[in-house]
Amino acid sequence: MATNVQTLAVPSTSPSPLRTWGPTLAVVGVLVVVYLAAQASSASQAVFWAVGLGVGLVLQRSRLCFTSAFRDLFLLGQGRTARGIIVGLIVATLGFGMVMATVIPNPGSGVLPADAHILPLGPATVLGGLLFGFGMVIAGGCVSGALYRMGEGYLGSWVAIGGVMLGLYLLNRTWNWWWDNSISMDPFVWLPQEFGYAVAIVLTVVLLAGAYVGVLSWERRVAGNMPVIPIKRREPPPPASVSDDVRAVGRRIFKQEWTPVVGATSLALLNILLFIRYRPLGVVGEVSRWANDVGDALGAGVGPLRGLADLAGCAPVLADGASWFTDAFMLNAGIVAGAFASAVFAREFRIRAPRSPRRYIQSLGGGVIMGYGAGLGLGCTLGAFFSAVPSLALNGWVYAIALAGGAFLGVQVIKRFP
Amino acid sequence: MSDEAVPILDVRGEICPYPMLRTNRELDEVRPGVPVLDVVTDHPPALSTIPPEAMKRGYGCEIEETADGEWRIRIFKAE
Repeated sequence: MATNVQTLAVPSTSPSPLRTWGPTLAVVGVLVVVYLAAQASSASQAVFWAVGLGVGLVLQRSRLCFTSAFRDLFLLGQGRTARGIIVGLIVATLGFGMVMATVIPNPGSGVLPADAHILPLGPATVLGGLLFGFGMVIAGGCVSGALYRMGEGYLGSWVAIGGVMLGLYLLNRTWNWWWDNSISMDPFVWLPQEFGYAVAIVLTVVLLAGAYVGVLSWERRVAGNMPVIPIKRREPPPPASVSDDVRAVGRRIFKQEWTPVVGATSLALLNILLFIRYRPLGVVGEVSRWANDVGDALGAGVGPLRGLADLAGCAPVLADGASWFTDAFMLNAGIVAGAFASAVFAREFRIRAPRSPRRYIQSLGGGVIMGYGAGLGLGCTLGAFFSAVPSLALNGWVYAIALAGGAFLGVQVIKRFP
Repeated sequence: MSDEAVPILDVRGEICPYPMLRTNRELDEVRPGVPVLDVVTDHPPALSTIPPEAMKRGYGCEIEETADGEWRIRIFKAE
C-alpha cells in the first residue's frame, strides 16, 4: 500500500540545549555505566546487555509488533508488518544457515546444533501457538512487544508481563504432565538433517517468498484497491547547512519511524550476531525463570521440571551459585532499557495508562493465556518463531501457523467486545 | 473550519487496535459523514493504522505532534 507523505514546513523552535540534550546524555550515561559494570562481571553479560539495547532500539523505532503482523491480516487485511517480518526471516535464514554450517558441517550426522531453536514438534507446539496467538491479540502485544512497551511507559504492558509470568508459572506447575504424556515423545525435525543445508535453506527462502506473495494477494483480496490519499506530516524545513544535514540524519534514525522491513532486517542481523557466538534471540525462558523464582520465594516452588534444561533457551532454574543477573536477564533488561532510551531520544516517552479498567483485565488475562502458550510452545514470537524458522526447524513453521490461527480467534473476540 | 469547531476523539491510553477501531466507529456510526475529525493519541503505531482506514472511507489525514509522545491526526474529507 503506497502512501505518499507530504511535508509541511514548520518554523523550527530552539529550546535550551540542556533541555534538548540533558535527558539523552543522562540516559546514555546510565546505559554505559551498566555496560561497564556488566563487563567487569563477565564479558557475556555485557554482550547480552548491548544486544538487548539494540533490540529495544530496533523494536521501538520500527514499532515492530508481531501481534499486529498476525492480527491486522485478519482485522483489516493489512500486511505491511507481516511482510516486513518475512523479509527479516529471509535475512536471518541466510545468516543462521552459515552459522549452523560452521558448527555442524555434516548435518546428516544425527547431531543437532545445540543452541539453534530446534524444538520438539507435536501437539504442544500447536496448542502453545494457538494459545499464544489468542492471548497476544487480547493483551494487545506479545512478550517481546510487552517488554519494549514497558520501556516506553505503557502501564498495561507491565500488567501483561505480570500475566505472562502467572501463565508461565501455571504451565510450569503442569509441565511434567505435558512432558511425560506428549513433549518427551515428540520428534525434532531439522530440515538440513533430511535434505542437507543447501536444499533446506533454499526451501525455507522459497516458502518465505511464497508467504510474502500470499500476504500481498490476501491484502488485495480483503482490502481491495485503496485510494491513495497523501498523509501530511509537519516536518522541519529542508536542511540548509552541514549542521542541518547532521541533524537530519539524527532525526531520520532517532525520531522518524523505521519501516517494518528496516526493523525486521535489523532484528535479524542482531539475531545472527548473537547466534554467531552464543545463541539466537529468545526472551521467554528467562521470564519463566523469574516466575519460578517468585513461586519459590512465596514457598510455592514448581520443583524439578523434567527435560526442560536440555531444550534450547529453556533453562528453568539457575545453576547453583549462579548470579541472578544471568545473560538472559541482561538481554531482557536491555530490551526494556533500550526501548526506554529510544523513546527518550525521540521525545516520545510518557507514562501511558489505559482509562478503562477493562483494558487492565485484558492485559492480565491475555498475558496469562499467552504465558501458558509460550511455556507449552517453548517460546514466543521471537524464540519459537523468529529464531526457529531461520534455525531451519519445522517447529517454527508449525508454531507460526498456530499463531495465525490463535490470532484469528482473538480477532473474533475483540471484534465482538470493543 | 476553525479548530474550535472540529470534533475531537480522544483515544489516549488506548493501544492497538483500539485507537483505530474507535476512530472507525466514530466515522461510521457516531458521526457518519463528518467532514473533519481530530483524533488525539499517545500510541505511535496508531499513526500508521488510522490513516489507511480513514483513506478507505475517502478521508485524508494530517498528523501533527502536539506534545512529547502525543499526536493529533486531523481527518478530513478529501475533495
